[in-house]
Formats: sequence, structure tokens, C-alpha cells
Amino acid sequence: MPFVLVLVLLGVWEAAARSGLWSKLLFPSLTSIAYEFARFLATPEQLHEAWVSLYRALGGFALAAAAGIFIGVLMGRSKLAAGLLDPLFSGTYAVPKLALFPVFIFVFGIGSLSKVALVFLECLYPIVIMSSHGARSVNRVLLWSAQNMGASRGETLRRVVIPATAPFIFAGFRVAVPVAMIVVVITEMVSSADGLGYLVIYSLSSLRTDRMLAVVVAIALLGYLLDKAVVLARDRLIYWERLDTYYV
Amino acid sequence: MGLARAGFFLSLLALWQLLAWRGLPAYVLSPLQIIRDFVEALGSAELYEHAAASLARSLPGFAIGTFFGALLGLAAGTARWFDRLFSPAVFVSYPVPKIVMLPIFMLWFGIGDLSKVLIIALACFYPVFINAYYGVKATPAILVWSALNMGAGRGAIFRRVVLPSAAPMIFAGMRVSLALSFIVMFAAEMINARSGLGHLIRVAESSLRFDLMYVSLLAVAILGYAGDRLVRLAQRRLLAWHEQPA
Repeated sequence: MPFVLVLVLLGVWEAAARSGLWSKLLFPSLTSIAYEFARFLATPEQLHEAWVSLYRALGGFALAAAAGIFIGVLMGRSKLAAGLLDPLFSGTYAVPKLALFPVFIFVFGIGSLSKVALVFLECLYPIVIMSSHGARSVNRVLLWSAQNMGASRGETLRRVVIPATAPFIFAGFRVAVPVAMIVVVITEMVSSADGLGYLVIYSLSSLRTDRMLAVVVAIALLGYLLDKAVVLARDRLIYWERLDTYYV
Repeated sequence: MGLARAGFFLSLLALWQLLAWRGLPAYVLSPLQIIRDFVEALGSAELYEHAAASLARSLPGFAIGTFFGALLGLAAGTARWFDRLFSPAVFVSYPVPKIVMLPIFMLWFGIGDLSKVLIIALACFYPVFINAYYGVKATPAILVWSALNMGAGRGAIFRRVVLPSAAPMIFAGMRVSLALSFIVMFAAEMINARSGLGHLIRVAESSLRFDLMYVSLLAVAILGYAGDRLVRLAQRRLLAWHEQPA
């Protein structure tokens, strides 16, 4: 029942592809896409492109996670840090950091580094905003009890603040992971000689739409699996709280 | 606090300016230089044309995506049969970067603005849909019960209880969507366009016009910031009762 709509859409697609009303270029049939996808999985060179995209996305994400949790918790627990950094983050939140990409190309070179740097920057925002929000709303009674029982500042941070913030941090991760994929794919589409985004543009320019859609399927699958991995990690680490909503 | 804050930013800018005087690479301009270039660009028509072309893509895309996102999200949140039919498809495709559909959209809808508007609409749809959906789901049951108890009909409950309760979430989704619409607009223009700020920055990059590069960067930043302010202003006016985070 749940995936009726998906199946219907796929059926309409296949019917459109087979009807011959449109060129194969516009609606490649599902079988040819599936064939190209299988070929994609069977070719080590192509899988290597997926790996390139993946390590760019994960590299930028990991850096953003480390820096973002640090800055976020700092902003949540220190009035001074919040006062100084909050306008910086909320002011530039809606600014597309992607516009910095040309500058990054000059600064970090045209290779992976400029892309990783941009992924880092774009992922930093949701993680910082969510974790500062979480660290600010730690239950005051818990903090008082910890202090009352003689916990030092470090202990309070480690045993109270971080666990209480963890669900928010993961909410930030959940937003940041698709962002990382978006940025990697975009930057590879704009300027790159490797990665999945490049493969999309390359197959399009060689007028192989079936091949292009197979890469799109691969990107979609990768995005989906990364999201699932975050959810899985969250459920293992934060076993005391169930995930009900996407944001916070 | 305000003074410390201003001092912090001014010292950051001053540091940048000092570094620039000491000699930075040609691709890093000093703040004063960027402002001078920007003011100069404001005097010519070029910047306005490109900014208008960008907005003509991102705003309709944002409006379409937000409209359908809110509409279908509210529907999926309230009607169970629609939820079971529609939501799984949305949640499965949510983590997929929508920009990869741009090439196929270009084939279907042409290379012009329509494909870009539609890809922006597609990207903007998701955050609003998900927020509207969860906004409806998070309506306190006790409010609905009270309304029922006081004899409200289905329509009245939706209009007077569910919608106001979901509205803050919808606005939160709109803020995410707006930021996303600028990202996707910029990406689509960088990949393929003859106008717009994304195109301008590509031209500037490939002709090593660093002044132009920073001018378009600053223009995008200002547009994004202004759009975000507008959404927040609208939220404050429309949802005056709701306490909002900074």
C-alpha cells in the first residue's frame, strides 16, 4: 500500500517510454536505466567516482560535525560566545555559501579541497544552529543537581550537557547530510573531472540519458543510505529518546 | 553586549583589511576594495539585470514549491488515506539532492527558465511539506478535543486549531526553503544560464575579474539575507502570538 504512488509513477514512466511518443532521449525506459545502473555497479572505474564523491561529502561533513558541535555547545553554554557568534551565523544563514565556490577554487585549488571546504561550510550551519539550540535548552534542574553533587565544569559538560544536546546534534546531522550530498554533486557538476556530479554532466553531454539517470539513481541511493546511517547511529547512541520528527 | 559585538566584527574586518594591505593573493580583495567595487556596480545597469534575472527564477520557484509543499503537507497531515498514499514517496526521495534532476528537467522543459524554476520549486517543496506534515501531527490533541467538545465542525477545527498550530512549523520550513531556493538558483545558473548572478560569477571567475566575482557574491548574500528577513518579518506579523527563536 505505501508505495502505490511510486509504483504508479514508475509504471507511467515505462508506458511513456514504450509508447514511442517521445524520443528515447527524453524518456529512456526503466529497463535501459536498470541495465546502465547494473553496468555502473559492475565497473570499478565508475564505482571509484562514487567513492570520490562519498569521501568529499563525508570529509566535509566530519569536519563540520567536529567544529559545529564545538561551536554550537560553546554558543549554547556561554553568553559571550553566543553574543559574538550568533549574529554571524543567523545573519549569514540564508546566504548561499555556494557563491563562495569560485573564490574557494582560487584559494584551495580545483581539486577535492575546495569542494570539501564548501561542504564543511554548508554543513556547519545546521549543526551549529541545532546544537547551540540544544545546549541552551538543557534542563536547568539537571545542571543544578550535577553542581550540587559536586560535579566539576568538565564533568557537567561531559555527563549532562553533551548527552542532553545529543538529540539536537543528530537533528543537525540529519539536515547536514543531504546538504553535503547536494553541495558535492553541485560542485562536481560545475567544475570537476571526477565524482558522480561530473558523471551526470558527462553522460548528458554524450547524450546518454539512460546512463545519466542511472547515475542519478546512484546519487539518490547514496543520499538515502547516508540518511539511514545517521538515523541508525542516532537510534543506537540516543536509545533513551525516540525519533519522531525531522527537525528537533 | 552590542558594543562588544560591533567591536568583534569591526576588528575582524580590520584584521582582513590589514592583511590585505600587507599583501594578499590577487584573488582575495580587501573589504574596502569590495565595497568600492560594489558601489561602482550599483551605478551600472548590469548588476540589476542579473539580479532581476536571478530573482525571476528563484521567487516563482520558491512560491510554487512552498505553496504545494504547504498544501500537500497539510493534506497528508490531516487525511490518513492521503498520508499513506503520498508521504512514503516524499520521505524516500527527501535525502536525494534534487539538483541532479536539473539535466533531465532541461531535456523535458527546455534549457530556459522553466526548467530552473521547476527544479527550484521541487527543492523548496520538501522542507515545507515535511514541516507542515509534522506541524499538523504535533497539534496538541487536547486542543482538538476541546474544539470538538465545543461543537466545532471539521472545517472549523482545521481552520481555527490545526492551521494556527502548524503555522510556525510551516514558516520554519519556508525559511529553510528560501535558503535552499537561493542555493539551487545559484547552482542552476552556474551550471547553465545566460544571465543571473550565478552566471555572472562564472563569467567573472573565468575572466579573472575578481572585482566582479566579489560584487556578485555580495549581491547574492544581500538578496539571501533580505529574503530571510522578509520571511521572518512576515512570520512576526502573521504569528504574533508565537514566541520565536532568535
